[in-house]
Amino acid sequence: MNESIKEQLESTFKSIVVTVSEDTRIFVNVKKEQVLVVLRFLKDRKFDHLALISCVDWIEEKEFELVYILTGYMQIDEEDTGQERLHLIVKAKIPRQSPRLKTATVVFSNAEPYEREIHELFGVVFEGHKRLTPLFLDRWNEIPPFRKDFDTRKYVEEVFDKIPPVEDKDK
Amino acid sequence: MDRNQITKWLKAPAKMANKYSLHVIYFCTGCGIIEIPPVITSRWDAERFGIIPVATPRQANLFLITGYVSVKTLRAIIRTYEQMLEPKYVIGFGSCPINGGMYWDSYNTIKHLDKYIPIDGWIAGCMPRPEAIFIAVTHLWTLIDKDMANAYIQYRENYEFYRSNQEMALGKLEWPPLYPIHSNVRAVENE
Repeated sequence: MNESIKEQLESTFKSIVVTVSEDTRIFVNVKKEQVLVVLRFLKDRKFDHLALISCVDWIEEKEFELVYILTGYMQIDEEDTGQERLHLIVKAKIPRQSPRLKTATVVFSNAEPYEREIHELFGVVFEGHKRLTPLFLDRWNEIPPFRKDFDTRKYVEEVFDKIPPVEDKDK
Repeated sequence: MDRNQITKWLKAPAKMANKYSLHVIYFCTGCGIIEIPPVITSRWDAERFGIIPVATPRQANLFLITGYVSVKTLRAIIRTYEQMLEPKYVIGFGSCPINGGMYWDSYNTIKHLDKYIPIDGWIAGCMPRPEAIFIAVTHLWTLIDKDMANAYIQYRENYEFYRSNQEMALGKLEWPPLYPIHSNVRAVENE
């Protein structure tokens, strides 16, 4: 099956790089304009479960890489055939200066919390996302903390270490 | 009941009753809460020591901080602690509330919990065994006997400092102060 999905992808889309590794994982490198089309294309071909969206900060290349991991509920059960389930990993790079991308919630509605998290921790703006509100952090004023140029040690020294210990006022 | 303790019971019955009925609030922070189910159920049976978990802070007088404290959790911890009735005792459980532990340079974890609320005692370790909880509780009994478990009195007396530390970490707090604040205390010290 992985050969056929590779051929389908390569024949349908131009400028797409498909690599098969470990027989059960297929890496698909796409351009950022192609993300939605590729996701919709794969959803129609039984990759109907978006397992995860992740983000990688390549600070030297000045790029963010978004990683979409897809798998399918309708694939063959691994107990019957001994085959493992196929995972499709879609990767797209966006410039670090203006990190904007169209939201994937129109294809997979469960992308909403992942995109909120990436927006909060990396500062990527997902256009068309209806609810890019803070998720984990509490009143955050700094740059997003998962970026590589965010210095956690310096932040801790400036915020938490400056708070004085409480001593008894009678002493 | 231990015969040797009869004099203690006659001298201060309220204190002794309080000591042997520590009601611990069900409050889960971090990973240490996984040690609490075996402690309160039949394997280690915390009820031998008079420890019962209760659902609301209004019924509780022991607060176990079981693990790392994130900034959002600190807000909930302060609100819970201020609702508890006196006398109330706090035990920091695990190495993370002591000085951050493995989250020493995390952007979102409170490092020294005793800067924000008063702590009666610490249990070090990552994770401490359930037996360590009982050792801590027996230590707490000794402290109560000697009137040394007075962290809640410290909180009342030094409330300005605690409140200002809380505001430094959390921004402006949306609830009113628990005790009256004499706002000139810190100003006088700065001069």
